[in-house]
Amino acid sequence: MAIRVNPKLIDDLEKYGAEDVQNCYHCGNCSAVCPHADDVFVFPRKPMRHLQMGLEKKLEQALEPWMCYYCGQCSEQCPRGAEPGETMMSLRRWLISRYDFTGLSRLFFRSTQAEIVAVLLVALLTGAGALLYGFRRGDIRVYSGAGAFLPSSFIHVLDLGIALVIFAVLAINVFRFWRSSLAGSGALSMPWWLYLKKLYLLPWHFFTQKRYAECDNNRLQSIYPPWLFHLGIVAGYVTMLVLVMVFLDSLQAGPDIQWSVHAFGYLAGIGLLAGSVYMLRLRLTKARVQYQRSHGSDWIFLVMLFLMALTGMVQHLLHRSGWLVAANITYVIHLMIVVPWLLRMPFTKWSHILYRPLAMFFAGVRKAALQHQAKTGMPVGQMRQAA
Amino acid sequence: MRIGVFLGKSLAEGGINLQAVANYAANLPMVEKVRLLGFRPQLEARALADEIGGDRLDRIVLAGESPGFFKPVFARAMMLAGADPGEIRLASFREHGAISDNDNERAKAIVACAVRGVPFSLVAVPKPTQVNPATLIIGGGIAGIQAALEIADGGKQVYLVERTGTIGGHMAMFDKTFPTLDCAACILTPKMVAVGDHEKIQLMTNAEVQAVSGTPGSYHVKVRRKARFVDIESCVSCNACTAICPISVWSEFDSRLVHRKAIYIPFPQAVPNSYLVDPENCTYILTKGEKCGACLKKCPKDCIHLDEQDQVVEFEVGNVILATGYDLFDARRIERYGYGKFPNVLTSLEFERITNASGPTGGKIVLKTKKLNKRTRVEEWVADPEAPPPKNVAIIHCVGSRDANYNPYCSRVCCMYSLKFAHLVHEKLPDANCYEFYIDMRAFGKGYEEFMERIKSEGTHIIRGRTAQVVESNGQLMVKGEDMIQDRLVELPADLVVLAVGIIPAPGTHELAQLLGVPRDEDGFFSELSYNGDPTYTERGCIFVAGMCQGPKDIPDTVAQASAVAAGVLRCISSGHGMDHLSSLALSEIEARAAQMEANPILVR
Repeated sequence: MAIRVNPKLIDDLEKYGAEDVQNCYHCGNCSAVCPHADDVFVFPRKPMRHLQMGLEKKLEQALEPWMCYYCGQCSEQCPRGAEPGETMMSLRRWLISRYDFTGLSRLFFRSTQAEIVAVLLVALLTGAGALLYGFRRGDIRVYSGAGAFLPSSFIHVLDLGIALVIFAVLAINVFRFWRSSLAGSGALSMPWWLYLKKLYLLPWHFFTQKRYAECDNNRLQSIYPPWLFHLGIVAGYVTMLVLVMVFLDSLQAGPDIQWSVHAFGYLAGIGLLAGSVYMLRLRLTKARVQYQRSHGSDWIFLVMLFLMALTGMVQHLLHRSGWLVAANITYVIHLMIVVPWLLRMPFTKWSHILYRPLAMFFAGVRKAALQHQAKTGMPVGQMRQAA
Repeated sequence: MRIGVFLGKSLAEGGINLQAVANYAANLPMVEKVRLLGFRPQLEARALADEIGGDRLDRIVLAGESPGFFKPVFARAMMLAGADPGEIRLASFREHGAISDNDNERAKAIVACAVRGVPFSLVAVPKPTQVNPATLIIGGGIAGIQAALEIADGGKQVYLVERTGTIGGHMAMFDKTFPTLDCAACILTPKMVAVGDHEKIQLMTNAEVQAVSGTPGSYHVKVRRKARFVDIESCVSCNACTAICPISVWSEFDSRLVHRKAIYIPFPQAVPNSYLVDPENCTYILTKGEKCGACLKKCPKDCIHLDEQDQVVEFEVGNVILATGYDLFDARRIERYGYGKFPNVLTSLEFERITNASGPTGGKIVLKTKKLNKRTRVEEWVADPEAPPPKNVAIIHCVGSRDANYNPYCSRVCCMYSLKFAHLVHEKLPDANCYEFYIDMRAFGKGYEEFMERIKSEGTHIIRGRTAQVVESNGQLMVKGEDMIQDRLVELPADLVVLAVGIIPAPGTHELAQLLGVPRDEDGFFSELSYNGDPTYTERGCIFVAGMCQGPKDIPDTVAQASAVAAGVLRCISSGHGMDHLSSLALSEIEARAAQMEANPILVR
């Protein structure tokens, strides 16, 4: 098969954040120090090589960028300042834009302004829509129950509608991810039962993010703090998502709110707030090498996450304190953040909530396929090439 | 003859005052036209031809930082104007050393020479000055030794000042040289003896240069000769004093692998072949004569004088040669290689001593083992000839070199000495595995590539990929790295890890540079005057550099540079010219000489 080379690829990646790839002289220190590199997935050096050579196809197939959780050890030790960790991060952005068929992702990653404009536009439309609906159908002095400014039934329909759109886009993108990474692996055959056998990896990595915790193997701390806060954000987000999608009625209810919903809501809120504040602080203080070069999309992500959790919390507190007009206004603001946040999910950093565990799942399948093939007697060299 | 002078500008600001030069050029004889071209001018041959034709110019002088850039368009213009395009002369400020803001006079002189058609380099030769025929050489390594022998054999007096107790430097510690695998001592020691015996060389070991004053050609030098406490002339190196001395400290010459006594000889072939006392550890000296003194009683020749004082000697020299050599990068700075933590992670120089036939193990490659120091009751890791040999040896290249976090430069010798180590391991331990972790193999010299192929064919596992870590698991050192040729990660057991540490300037280079007014480059080595043209001269007249103190280089290059320096020094002495590049003659003088030479082209000086 002919290999297509894209000499512009390395320049293209600059807009995604990888600025120093050209410095790399391939000493392999990064791969050797990486806690996640193994014999099947040797990185970050190899993807950097592919990048320097412009092997677009190879990179599209790569799962390696998803194996990296950016602990920064490679960049710290890099003798050339080639920032392998940042390159992996940029490759993840690039891959997200590759999986996305709409092209919006590419636009947003390459231009932070475009993303901000899009977010503001959707926010304004949402705000206008919510106000229009509220003033025509309800009363701004009523928060819940009959005649509410924004009744839960209306929000529920809105939620479901957005979810439908997101899932449709995501389904296509995930298919494209699978096609380029696993199905595109050529000679390596992957029987269907391997997928079943490794399917457990998907929920396992989704809920534990265990590999992120392993980032710290060389620093010998008992718990890696970024992993803990990351877990807090994901757990909080998922909890909140379930509450909003399934239990919105009881969440928005008046004084007789269910204790369980109440407790879960607070826990999720705290997880989101603490996590986003911690991550923002890391990026602002640039404490470690992995937080020194934040891309525009990182800032938008964290700021929106923080504002979303904050307005949700404030709205709830206002409601409980009886300031219903203020609560309703905050609710509109909250919606103005939530709707663009949700809509941009398949196109931005946030989609890694899905791609990450999927990549772990795919990686497990690929490794299993290699083992399977080894049993069936394929030479190792050929096998590796096939991979 | 009608001459036009055009002044171009290649930098937007700074540098020479072109207007002043233009005003000066306008008053030169036969100059009809002077024009400033400005910064990055857009020149058009036809317009220039009109200009040349209009002023009926038949010679053009192009002046500026790099005027050759404008030459093609002026050549076309000359042809179009019907003039001889061969009559274009370049007055390059950069080429003739008018670079800084205060080189206006020099720039004027360069233009004057071009107008008169006289080579500037022929005219602007400084006047002969009195050059003292004696030479000071600082550093007694192979560079200093080679330069000293060349100059002394040429019949001129040499003062060789060496900081340690013996000459020989780092080369004396080596076992073999690459790529020929000659015995280093067999090359070096005859030269050392020749230096010691030479009537024209005054050897000052255990001495440091304290002050250098004066001007190029006549420097006044002050050297502090530290007390050796042993009379060189009468000491016969019988070893009686060392045998009785109760103090043992780590031996610097043996890379702190074994102990030496407080009265010692660095190595048996030391020159001068005499013992010396380490005053920081000698009990007699530390207690001001109250305790010990055992060696005094044992010495059969009465040549130990523990009350000796430091002396300061002063003398005059014409030239100074810097040959201060190098030091090793401190491998402790890269913690993940575990040097200083794991006893069997060695630097290259330590391994060099272990594998050296005259070293502490008699050339047996062994692991360092724990031994009880009977005097201090502390367990120490020492190189013991009876210790077991390593089964797996890993050699890690580029430790501290080519690394933006440490030294960005390549130390040049590490690849080759690492290959040499691999050969020695195979030769002495045929059953051992030897792994080389390298980034790029820099086998650049004559016979080096062939040497590398030879080592590869001997069965060394050459792994492309830098090691990230040396870790210990269950008492076994493990070396982690990426093998990028085989496309896999490797974690190999290694009993002995050798770090091919990089080269840094010798300690004291900074102080010496300040003392002599010689600039250093960004890596801390002495700066040569011009990398390609004058690699042995420094910015200061009559001060030369040789060997590693100018930048990392191997033994052949060091010896070659030392000989080149000797040629420069002898040239300086016999011509009577100091190599005083940057100070020039007065403008009027150059003008007068240029006019003289224009009138009589055959006359040279």
